[in-house]
Amino acid sequence: MSNMAMRILLVEDERKVADIIARGLKAERFAVDVAQDGQGGWEMADAYNYDLVILDLMLPGLSGTEILQRIRRKNQEVPILILTARNGMADKIKNFEAGADDYLTKPFAFAELLVRVKALLRRGPVNRSSVLRVGDLEVDRLSQQVRRAGRRIELTAKEYALLEYLATHPDRVFSRTMIIEHVWDQSFEGLTNIVDVYVRHLREKLDDPHPVKLIRTVRGVGYCLTEGGQP
Amino acid sequence: MNTRSIRFRLVMWYAGLLAGVFFLLVVLLYFNLRHFLENDQRASEARRARQITQALLVHVKQTGEAYVASQVKDWFEPEINGRFIRITRADGGVIYESGPPKDGSFNPQEVPALTPSAQAEFSRKLALSGGKTMLVSALNFQSSDHIGYRVEFGELLDPVEAMLNHLFLQLAWGLPIAVLAVAVGGYLLVQRALQPVAQITCSAEQISQHNLSERLPVTRTGDELERLSHSLNRMIGRLDDAFQNSKRFVADASHELRTPLTILRGELEDLAENQRLDPDLRSRLGSLLEEVERLGKIVEQLFALSHLDAGEAQTEWARFDLATLAKTTAEQMSLLAEDKGLHIVCHADRKVPVEGDRSRLKQVVVNLLDNAIKYTPVHGTVQLNVRTINGHALLEVADDGIGIPPDALPHVFERFYRADPSRSGDSGSAGLGLAIVKSICTAHGAEVEVQSTVGGGSRFQVRLPLSRQPDSP
Repeated sequence: MSNMAMRILLVEDERKVADIIARGLKAERFAVDVAQDGQGGWEMADAYNYDLVILDLMLPGLSGTEILQRIRRKNQEVPILILTARNGMADKIKNFEAGADDYLTKPFAFAELLVRVKALLRRGPVNRSSVLRVGDLEVDRLSQQVRRAGRRIELTAKEYALLEYLATHPDRVFSRTMIIEHVWDQSFEGLTNIVDVYVRHLREKLDDPHPVKLIRTVRGVGYCLTEGGQP
Repeated sequence: MNTRSIRFRLVMWYAGLLAGVFFLLVVLLYFNLRHFLENDQRASEARRARQITQALLVHVKQTGEAYVASQVKDWFEPEINGRFIRITRADGGVIYESGPPKDGSFNPQEVPALTPSAQAEFSRKLALSGGKTMLVSALNFQSSDHIGYRVEFGELLDPVEAMLNHLFLQLAWGLPIAVLAVAVGGYLLVQRALQPVAQITCSAEQISQHNLSERLPVTRTGDELERLSHSLNRMIGRLDDAFQNSKRFVADASHELRTPLTILRGELEDLAENQRLDPDLRSRLGSLLEEVERLGKIVEQLFALSHLDAGEAQTEWARFDLATLAKTTAEQMSLLAEDKGLHIVCHADRKVPVEGDRSRLKQVVVNLLDNAIKYTPVHGTVQLNVRTINGHALLEVADDGIGIPPDALPHVFERFYRADPSRSGDSGSAGLGLAIVKSICTAHGAEVEVQSTVGGGSRFQVRLPLSRQPDSP
């Protein structure tokens, strides 16, 4: 499945941040246009129908919120992902009211941005089928049953939620924060070792009896489920 | 009664001033009246003495002294009217002297004879027995044949004294009553006058860090009270500015820190995921990423703390059951405890309705449990109890872990404080967990306390107000 047809506008005044996002998105084969200030961002959004706009809030010239409102007045459809260095609840509500579709607070893991971008482009979850497959692992989302090499594996509810989340995007590295937000809730933020504990338990059940290990640790980044296994 | 209150003091001043002025008035009135009445009596006596001289003594040469005496007696009837009349010749001979009055009010014998005087007309006050005073006026007269006569006319001062005494008594009674009336009236008036102050106080009490944009109502009276409310409003304005500035500073600082962190994280992630890199290098990149994550977390927590300080936690205020919250949280964290060989025992059987930001209060439970798990050695127990006590919700997290030394106990809720500096290497913990617990509790009007003995474990207690809303069906 190609992302070639998808064109994303990135409005971000911090050049280095823009570079990292643009590079990452291009590697995922999206077409990315970058605007470095508010006015330029608005002109580009006005001139071309993008599939997605990633908008930083603190911009020179026109503010992100202002661009958001202008885009919404002109084009109701385009999904808009807000990037911000503030995570005040008031900001969040204000921007959702102004028509933002999602909200990401800096610093973020690129993987998280990508997951959200794909979700907004209605391309994710990548695998919509009721059975997720990674190598010889099968995760049945309807019956919530897990099999590896045909053998049933009993998991607790949280272990299952964790595995299903990893299995929705094979080969994608999930940060601990993403996992906590998805499987637990915000209250557990700052308690990232809970993820490590659950991953360890999951490994005992999933990987220990098998020579090929499916759960891979990317140090400092997070975990991913991959056929290639842990090198 | 508060004797130092402005109300009391004002009333005392009113009453004191009134009493003083009243007293002075009474004294002045008393003496002036007395003087006036005595003069009046003196004038009337002198007039009568003059009548005697001008009507009778003028003709004494023709009529004879006896006639004068009988005429005086007939005219003035001194015994009946309670008067004293005496007419003496210059050689000391008494022409006439009135007898004792019928009512026996005085004894004429007690009125001493006058020494000769050059003055034509004079009067004197005599103290008689029985505490009575008589005012006697005397008039010297020279008859046509050059015989000197003296007419003395006296009346008791009793009626004057009685009247003055009566007046004095009336005033003596009236004074305290008037002072009391002024005190009561003054009290009510002062209360009325202080009413705007009470209103200002009441409004000022309503203003906290959450509604600094509000102002006190200003009564347009143009007096001290209007000035007071204006200056209070200006002070609230300055506080508001200071608060806004500090909030803006935190927001700016947070922004300035987050951007480089984003760049660091993005670049390092990109590198760390590169499979062609040397494993040692990737491991070091991973280590760097862990530190970046920790920095990010500290920024996040500081930001959360400043938000709590600024009172912005109440955006998602709701009523919920603290017992259920505690139970689910304990379940979610049980694996974390089991991983260390501990187990969490949760006693939260009865509903405990509270109000607040659910996710924030959950964070309190999470942070307290995490703290307990962290400092309890293998095979220990962590207890989580939720119950109602004395009209409060009590959440208790107790462990049988290493405990906290007494000198560290007062500081455990301070930011970046660590009881054991050797643990600072503990990844993901910046010593902010308990500070966040404290801030969340403060934002919810809750109190958090800790008791601990070294080696005997610690007990954290959070006391929250119970929800006052009735149970929803």
